[in-house]
Amino acid sequence: MKPAIQLTGVSKVYKEKKAVDDLTLTIAEGTVVALLGPNGAGKTTTVSMILGMNKPTKGTIKLLGDDPREQRVRDRIGAMLQDVSVIDGLKVAETIQLFRSYYQKPLALDYLLKVSNLEAERDKLATALSGGQQRRLGFALALAGDPEVIFLDEPTVGMDVTSRQLFWDTVRAMAGRGRTIVLTTHYLDEADSVADRIVVINNGRIIADGTPSEIKAETTGRVISFIAGSSVTTEALLQLPGITNVEWSGRRVKLSSGDTDSLIKLLIEKRVEMRDIEIQSGGLEDAFQALVASTNQ
Amino acid sequence: MNSTMLRATVAQCKAELLRTVRNKRFVIFSVIMPVLFFFLFSNVVGSQKVGGVDFTAYYLMSMTCYGIIGASFSTFSIRMARERSLGWIRLLKITPLPSWAYIVSKIASQAIINLVIILMMFVIGGLGRQVDMSAAHWIESGLWIWIGGLSFMSLGTLFGSMRNPDAVQVLSTIVYMALSVLGGLWMPTETMSQTMQTISKLTPTYRLGQGAWNIIAGGSIDWMGVLILAIYMVVFMRISAYIMKKQEAV
Repeated sequence: MKPAIQLTGVSKVYKEKKAVDDLTLTIAEGTVVALLGPNGAGKTTTVSMILGMNKPTKGTIKLLGDDPREQRVRDRIGAMLQDVSVIDGLKVAETIQLFRSYYQKPLALDYLLKVSNLEAERDKLATALSGGQQRRLGFALALAGDPEVIFLDEPTVGMDVTSRQLFWDTVRAMAGRGRTIVLTTHYLDEADSVADRIVVINNGRIIADGTPSEIKAETTGRVISFIAGSSVTTEALLQLPGITNVEWSGRRVKLSSGDTDSLIKLLIEKRVEMRDIEIQSGGLEDAFQALVASTNQ
Repeated sequence: MNSTMLRATVAQCKAELLRTVRNKRFVIFSVIMPVLFFFLFSNVVGSQKVGGVDFTAYYLMSMTCYGIIGASFSTFSIRMARERSLGWIRLLKITPLPSWAYIVSKIASQAIINLVIILMMFVIGGLGRQVDMSAAHWIESGLWIWIGGLSFMSLGTLFGSMRNPDAVQVLSTIVYMALSVLGGLWMPTETMSQTMQTISKLTPTYRLGQGAWNIIAGGSIDWMGVLILAIYMVVFMRISAYIMKKQEAV
């Protein structure tokens, strides 16, 4: 597989703060990669450096084998950026047509209107659209040039459920056509369902990298939760072996463990006061929280 | 330059024209106000002479300049500030549209807009108020205002480099009005005090108007005016380039 994106030893320093710290990452063509991390982890900085909008302080970046600022590279990429709104004074179809004119082989206007679910709004001024509709217009603009590499930075913020569904269906269809997709999102279930690969970033460094199931397996994995009797305390629970995290909400306690089978036996043996017991395999959310928590310590 | 870039430049130009025509401020400041003022004052002042020419012809030049400056400076600066604050410029940077195509389309679309304003004003003046000038004077004064007017885009760029479009809207309107009054576009500088006249002569607005008034009074190209406008243009461009570079560095 040819690499679509290659970062080698990339650092970005703002004033004194290291936003990205010696990042090395190769993304193969045709993969869907989700960059996850808490706010300020360096995701957006990384994306904007890959796009050539920001210069790395150190290291090299190759996008489609070339400098991201080359026009021939830009002709083959598309992006939905954060904090980019729509332009004033142009209608939806006019805005899309404008963007189509920039590229050598643009996708058809009707197709772009369809996948962004904006067919009914084509003759509306872009500024009159709702926030979610504006994001969808941004998606249409990102796809205008039929890009080989698509960047989606927090793409579904403000979209309703139906739009979100159509959005991910389109992204999957794009991935099916061999497009490389790099996305950042706060909705971990979205990353879980769409990405082939998840890269977790914290404090400007990669702290985990793998398929969604690998990431989940690598970390705490499973969770036991129950409504605890009054004798149960965090201290008492942490005495038990195999518990990696204790989380309370009211009297319900959530215990993370790598081996929930032994833990449940142990809890019963120790006669811990429990009601309403649930055992779940931890979602990506839990894995993510655990990862970030462990590197922040 | 390949065909895609040509197509992109033309499309960019078209988009600029649409955005301008749909802008209410443009219609008010660059179409309605100059036409209205022209009719109103040419009616009130009548057939007096200013600097050896009919007031009506003189004032037609003033109001054409006023409309052009509104479009090239005030409306242009707001359009630019919007693009920047909406993040639009950041998005354009990752498209294959080269920055030269962006700049060319900005200037070309402004040139088209300004030409239309000049033609509109001249037709209104010639037919509506029977301004009578030789063909050479019509063409020369029109060309002067057209080319000279584009220099006000540099002032527009300077204001457009500010981050807050609302502030730009207010500030550019105030500066536009003040410069128009001070430059004698609303009322001839002859009606001002001596001190005001001296100040007036330093304004770019006066220099644009003066060039046109001079041509229709039978004078030749005002090279002093060209020089002053050119100095303003270079200074404004340098300052805005500096500001934008600093903003980008953050």
